[in-house]
This record gives sequence, structure tokens and C-alpha cells, in this order.
Amino acid sequence: MDSSPELQRFLQEEKQKAMIAEMVGKLTSECWDKCITSTPGSKFSSSESTCLANCAQRYLDMTMLIQKKFQSMQQ
Amino acid sequence: MDPFSSPSPSGGSSGQTIPSADVLMDQVKTQLAQAYAEEFFETVRSKCFTKCITKPGTSLSGSESSCITRCVERYIEATGIISRALFSAHR
Repeated sequence: MDSSPELQRFLQEEKQKAMIAEMVGKLTSECWDKCITSTPGSKFSSSESTCLANCAQRYLDMTMLIQKKFQSMQQ
Repeated sequence: MDPFSSPSPSGGSSGQTIPSADVLMDQVKTQLAQAYAEEFFETVRSKCFTKCITKPGTSLSGSESSCITRCVERYIEATGIISRALFSAHR
């Protein structure tokens, strides 16, 4: 079987999806540890759910900051 | 016919035929979905064991069982919160 472009595209897509799934999984794990400090309840408190959302967004901010820092270090 | 070969066009030769692209893509998707599910299961198991089983006794107590149920629900919910926060952040 030759590597059809359809198959290549499919594999690229699945690779992307896997990378995203890995990031979500890893981030959920770390943010859970940071934000859910007591015994899980029947729903999240507003501070817990806010913490989780903040955690993900701060992770993105931090990623950009690190990228900028690396770029400035290369010059 | 084994699941890894597609039907051969003639009844002729025996032996493995190379799977069609569609069959292959379906197999990859199925295997990936299964791998994700297994990993998620393992993560939830680990997290909820940490949170809920602090002093292992001779059996699971009622409070431990309900803690675990809530923990699983909350972890799934947390996954949703994180996903939405990651993908609605427009920079």
C-alpha cells in the first residue's frame, strides 16, 4: 500500500488530536492537584472551578512568556 | 477472515492482503480511543485513591465509596473546565 495523501492527512490529524489530548490530560492532572485541596464534594465550589479555569489560562500565559524569553536569549 | 485483512477480490490466493486505507484508519481510531480511555481510567484511579483512601481499612467504607463516586464526577468535570479554558482563550 502506498502512502496515500489521504492517509498522511489522517495521521497528521490524529497526531494533532493526540497532542491536544495529552496537554488536556496533563494540565487537568496538575490543576486538580493545585486547586482541589479538600475531599471532592457533590459539586465544585466557585473558588475551585475558578481556580481550575485560571490554572489553564495562566499555563498558556506562562508558555508564551517562556517562548519570548527563549527567543530573547537567542539574540 | 481475520480482522486485519480486507476481502480479497477473487477467491484465489490465500494469505494476508494489505488492509485498505479505510480499514486502517478505522483501526487506528479505535485503538487510539481505547488508549485514551485506558489512560483516563488510570489517572482518575490514581487521583481518587489519593483523595479518598487516606487510611486503608479492611474494606471500603460507605464514606470512601461516596467520596470515590464524587471524585470521579468532579474529575470528569475538571477535564471539561480545563478543555474549555484552553480552547476559548483567544489571544
